[in-house]
Amino acid sequence: MLIDVNAWVGHWPFKRLHGNTCEGLLARMKEYGTDVSVVTNLHGIFYKNTQSANEELYEEVHSKRAYKDRFIPFAVINPIYGGWRDDFEVSVKKLGMKGIRVFPNYHDYTITEPALLELVKMARDHNLPVALTMRMVDERQRSWMDLATEWAIKDYLPLLQAVPDAKYMLLNLSTGVGLSAEEEALLKGTDVLFDTSGRHIGHLAKFAKRFGEQRFAFGTHFPVLDYYTGLLRIDSLREEEGDKEQYRYRNAQRFLGL
Amino acid sequence: MRNTINRRNFMRNVAASASGMLLGNSLLAAAAEPAPAVAEKAPADRMKQVLRYRKLDAHVHLGLSKDGPEVNVDFMERLGMQRMFISKPVTKPVATPDDFRAANNVILEGMRRYPGQLTGMLTLNPMYPKESLEEIKRCTGEGMVGVKVYYQVKISDPLFYPIVEKLIDLKMIMLMHAETTLGIAGYRMKYDRRIKPNASVPEDFVSIAARYPEAMFQFAHIGGGPDWEYACKVLKHSPNVFIDTSGSNNENNMVEFAVQQVGVDRVLFGSDNMYYQSVGKVIDARLTEAEKRKIFFDNYNNILKKGGYHVD
Repeated sequence: MLIDVNAWVGHWPFKRLHGNTCEGLLARMKEYGTDVSVVTNLHGIFYKNTQSANEELYEEVHSKRAYKDRFIPFAVINPIYGGWRDDFEVSVKKLGMKGIRVFPNYHDYTITEPALLELVKMARDHNLPVALTMRMVDERQRSWMDLATEWAIKDYLPLLQAVPDAKYMLLNLSTGVGLSAEEEALLKGTDVLFDTSGRHIGHLAKFAKRFGEQRFAFGTHFPVLDYYTGLLRIDSLREEEGDKEQYRYRNAQRFLGL
Repeated sequence: MRNTINRRNFMRNVAASASGMLLGNSLLAAAAEPAPAVAEKAPADRMKQVLRYRKLDAHVHLGLSKDGPEVNVDFMERLGMQRMFISKPVTKPVATPDDFRAANNVILEGMRRYPGQLTGMLTLNPMYPKESLEEIKRCTGEGMVGVKVYYQVKISDPLFYPIVEKLIDLKMIMLMHAETTLGIAGYRMKYDRRIKPNASVPEDFVSIAARYPEAMFQFAHIGGGPDWEYACKVLKHSPNVFIDTSGSNNENNMVEFAVQQVGVDRVLFGSDNMYYQSVGKVIDARLTEAEKRKIFFDNYNNILKKGGYHVD
């Protein structure tokens, strides 16, 4: 059994992506034996009205039986754009979205923005996870039109502090992971799931020991990153370094309530 | 613990869970049908595939972090590498002869601890030509193969000419740290990435490669931060510049793009100590088995073969 908690479809405006359709993602899933994938529409990062991206994803996922069976759609919500409360309600109740992704840096609001806190509380009340993406693309070779700064993991912590009883996914750990003792305690006291796609996971067993084995799950960040690296971190663990099945699917299954 | 989850039931439940709220009973009924068959690759098979490829790591370091050589060797065994070509460049603007000799001594110690697994690449600073040529003699005499240099002097600077000429005689490659980041290499300066002014950019490699067509140059880590599309396009017409795929960035299609631009024979596997990404991106690349064998092993071994330094 294998669950990918961090996949995308759609275009990145500054670089051609490959395998970036539902069909392309499904082909990789079949190749590697992935049963289901959490999937989000990249366009939600760039559309001002993110709900259009959620509708696109819904239409695409529901265009084919195999997509419906194997994709778990997440909505992108921008809490400073008009009608976002309706977007959340429609995404959850009509479009069947099983979680939300927010992009404070791309959508130009702060991590303590009151509307964001309200949105996260709404997600919490619906028992839906809130996915925070540490990095979309490697900032060293980004487009001149892309963001000039990235947020480290600690930059997201004020949100966890403000709504500590929500469920969070911290994805693509590729920016700073340095934390004070207090910050690390906050993280460990919150219901957090990390994925295995990020560059800072130089040795999964050591990282899992630091934060807790139950907090890690297979993630690809595909098609931005290659499909296999996040899985290789798990596959190449030695028997004594941990239970691979928890990383392959059990932790994700529990966290997502599947 | 026994796995009691049935795969078909699991997928059926996921489908119902993900979509049932909207679509009601019709989809739930449909979802109870068997899931479509998939060409599933079992975990053991995936690792077999990884280990099946022999690998020479053409760009990897020792002594740039607190990790000792045992960490290098652990990842070699974990991911199926036959040999690492380790180096310790002096990563500060000033690199005196004492600095580069001390760095090379760290590498020699690593080679002594793991003979047959770790082979050294020496470092030097062409601002000190006499001492650098002496260091080439000392370190190659101790079994090192090739040179790894950093940003103290651009690769196209005349200071490098005697070094390159010596390496032509020895039939060894020169691996140079490289950058292709916003603010350099033709881009307008917009972001301060704190790139040192003497860092080598793709155009510098083109220049030195044209002056010395019989020499071999290695453009470092297209996964190490450079704009890899830019770099590969610039290096397309420099047949004696090889590109290594090492670095922490494992963007999809990076390896395929390099092959498309410069040809599969000029693409080398390297990790730059980013072991998972570097193996993962080649394994996942949409290339043939034969092409992956070339990248992982044959291409670098052919470079070594020119001077008789190859791996059996």
